[in-house]
Amino acid sequence: MNFFGTARAVYAKEIVDALRDRRTLLVVLLSSVLLGPLVLIALSGLVASLEARAEKREVFVVGIEHAPGLRNFLERQSAVVRDAPSDYETRLRDASLADPVVVVPPDFEAAMLRGDVPVLELLSDSANKQAESGAGRVQRLLAAYGRERVALSLAMRGVSGELLEPMEIQERDLASTQTRATQFTAMLPFFVLMAVLYGALSAALDTTAGERERGSLEPLLMNPAAPLALVLGKWGAVASVAMLIAVLSCFSFLPAQWWLRSDTLQALFQFGMREALLFVVVLLPFAAALSALLMAVAIRCKSVKEAQVNASLLVLLVSLLPLVSVFNLGSEAWWHLWLPALGQNTLMTHVLRGGALRAPQWLIPLAVCLLLAAVSLWFVAHRLRGAALR
Amino acid sequence: MIAIQHLAKSFPPARSAAQAVHAVRDVSVQAPAGTITGLLGPNGAGKTTTLRMLAGLIRPDAGSIEVDGIDVLQDPHGALARMGVLCDARGLYPRLSARENIVYYGVLRGMERSAAEQRSAELARALGMTSLLDRRTEGFSQGERLKTALARALVHDPANVVLDEPTNGLDVLATRALRETLRWLRSPEGGSKTIVFSTHIMQEVERLCDSVVVVAQGRSVATGSVAELLERAGERDFEAAFVRLAYADDAAASPQALPLANSLAQGPHEVRPVQP
Repeated sequence: MNFFGTARAVYAKEIVDALRDRRTLLVVLLSSVLLGPLVLIALSGLVASLEARAEKREVFVVGIEHAPGLRNFLERQSAVVRDAPSDYETRLRDASLADPVVVVPPDFEAAMLRGDVPVLELLSDSANKQAESGAGRVQRLLAAYGRERVALSLAMRGVSGELLEPMEIQERDLASTQTRATQFTAMLPFFVLMAVLYGALSAALDTTAGERERGSLEPLLMNPAAPLALVLGKWGAVASVAMLIAVLSCFSFLPAQWWLRSDTLQALFQFGMREALLFVVVLLPFAAALSALLMAVAIRCKSVKEAQVNASLLVLLVSLLPLVSVFNLGSEAWWHLWLPALGQNTLMTHVLRGGALRAPQWLIPLAVCLLLAAVSLWFVAHRLRGAALR
Repeated sequence: MIAIQHLAKSFPPARSAAQAVHAVRDVSVQAPAGTITGLLGPNGAGKTTTLRMLAGLIRPDAGSIEVDGIDVLQDPHGALARMGVLCDARGLYPRLSARENIVYYGVLRGMERSAAEQRSAELARALGMTSLLDRRTEGFSQGERLKTALARALVHDPANVVLDEPTNGLDVLATRALRETLRWLRSPEGGSKTIVFSTHIMQEVERLCDSVVVVAQGRSVATGSVAELLERAGERDFEAAFVRLAYADDAAASPQALPLANSLAQGPHEVRPVQP
């Protein structure tokens, strides 16, 4: 039997074996392929509710009757003035009131006219995220009212209001639509990386530690076949399953976009055919390397259970490494590309930002993956005979 | 034909302080074609290690192994191609059907898939397991597992068949069926195969073997037919003969003095008459 014939026969058998493990496949599909899109849709619901709140432009006030001028100003800014509920403090604390509350003292208007400085209270609760996010908007409105009053008083005394504002500040956002979108899509690479990992995990463990546990490795090695050919066939099957999950997981985000509830998010979320394909290109070598690495970890273990414990360290690494870029606050260091998982994460973030991939950028992670796969496969082939004997 | 000469193998100690384990010290087996040879010995005598060296899975420290004139150490794949090995752990794939299990090994041994399919159907008929062929091996009984594993070992029609503890866990009927199969494989119709099997059950050896190699503490201590061994030991009972031959070095090689060895030497199916 020639080398490649053996590898092909092993590959065909392992693929059939892996696909027959329906229950595991189903769990992998549910947990890794569907989870990402589901989280995305849930997030879009949250963003949509925040947007709806911002659009309503409501301002909750206690004692607005003491400040007719403020009411007039707010209404001119097309804000809707509402009376705050009487138990607003408790409701802000238990987060059932999602807007900050402005408290107007009884002699507000009179104090203004006298030229005193009356105190307006803006009540919010920093533990109440929704009220907190609205506080900035209300504060800006109140500040604008203050500026208007100052400008009017100065104008009556014949002084130009521009004296108070010697310069103008103009904000300009340099981020493109796609860079802004990465705020929301930053979690995508993480989800697809985990999908690849869980896709490879069960097949990798079953073809190595599983064979040992069943006692089927010993008779397998009594066939006149090179251990490396057996290992290559097994690895091919594991990597194929992992790649299948990778492809499914990448493309599952395409239909997920149709259900995005928030219009802004939908406009920002630019994940089309091009991005999905580039993701797959980035992930394929990673799936191959990870499969080999998992097999190398598992061949040392006598049972699938033992292998799972050992592989959990690898799972932890793959899920934690992408976080390095979070700790670095988004800036890239040269070594990011050299670490598996982090390198892929960096590349996929690039793709999401709409940047083009230059040759050194994708060549480094590719070379790292190839090297990792080769070393792991050599190790598995080397250990195979000893492993068969328990 | 299988010829094993003065085989020895020791395993390095697990810890540096421990002593090396001499699994096999000096085992020789001559198994000509068309015969059934039994390796008889208590647990831990070195039978499985010997058979693993025969299958090229472990490299011996000393000695030589030839299968049909092919040196296993020089050309393990050439020797394996002429052997069918049944392991102690049957090692079937539970999610594959019996047929798929058998055909997989056929293809690994270089057969065309169609030829392997045809051969598995023939073997299933011979072993009486046709109705099992398309069931997954997941829920198989011990006897069904053994038949499947045996068919898998025979798929490439090897001239030499090696079986490690084939009767382990089998009931009376399955054991009988296996005995019939082995006799058929030995006969000219079955291909006059060289059959070597290891066991610790005397009954099997008595009923089946043309030649017996008694293995104890890593050495082959006696070789010959059952009748020859009885004569050599001067006993009428084969069990008594086995204990005498296997534990000859021990000063008090009597069943009373060696209760543990005696119990090890007994087969699980053996029913001893109650002493009056």
